[in-house]
Amino acid sequence: MKLRRRRKLGISVPTTSMGDIAFLLIIFFMVCSNFAKESQIKYKPPDSVTLEAVKNAKVSIVIDQESEIYMDGQLVNDVKTVKALIEKALEGKKTQEERMVMFKCDRYIAKRVFEPVLDAITSAGGVLVAVGDKRKDE
Amino acid sequence: MPFKSLRKKKPESGVPTDSFSDIAFLLIIFFILVTSLKRIVGFETELPSSKEEKKKSEDKTPTVTLKEGRLLFCDADVTMEELQEKLANLKLAEKTKGDEKIILLDATLEVDYQSYYEVMSSISAAGGVVGIMTEDK
Repeated sequence: MKLRRRRKLGISVPTTSMGDIAFLLIIFFMVCSNFAKESQIKYKPPDSVTLEAVKNAKVSIVIDQESEIYMDGQLVNDVKTVKALIEKALEGKKTQEERMVMFKCDRYIAKRVFEPVLDAITSAGGVLVAVGDKRKDE
Repeated sequence: MPFKSLRKKKPESGVPTDSFSDIAFLLIIFFILVTSLKRIVGFETELPSSKEEKKKSEDKTPTVTLKEGRLLFCDADVTMEELQEKLANLKLAEKTKGDEKIILLDATLEVDYQSYYEVMSSISAAGGVVGIMTEDK
């Protein structure tokens, strides 16, 4: 007597569309990513209760905990150069949104260091976007 | 006797796509690592030039002073909460003239950015424009 062997059901994960899904995810991340140019700069941002979400500006100035000034992730030697570089970056920019300059500064830095930088941003025609952290304890 | 086909086998043409998803997932991992999804918070303000402020300082523009660890509003000691309340009472957002919105900020050179930032953000949140008073060189 012949016994018919039961056919086993082949279980497999459908992987045909994996590549498509992956590429869609890549496109998503490419569109919404903001490359961390300044990740190597060490600074502790100030905090306040009265802060709102702000748009990302094209020009970014950072003063780190060692009072070093960076523009778009590059170390700048003095305030005069900062002003000249901002002027160059904002050349031909007319709208307020185009003239935005993001300013990040360590919370312990004294006014004698950050004030000339604020002055340079203003006199170069920039609109100040001062970045901080929203205080949570209140 | 079976005949062997004399026709030459054509080499198969086509882009190898087997490793596509692996490459794609590697790219995803890269983008996940370099992406910052943190929302940027702060305040936006157009600072008037220092020359303008000097002119204004002669008239009765409200002034916030930061010196020796003290916070003063129009020469009276206040706390940060009181300052925010006083600024709200000025109803700066409702004022139409640009000059009327200006609040001068005077501070000694030793004041840290944290205190300065809190005052600037409070003025900005109240609808005012920060006028930075600079030291004479």
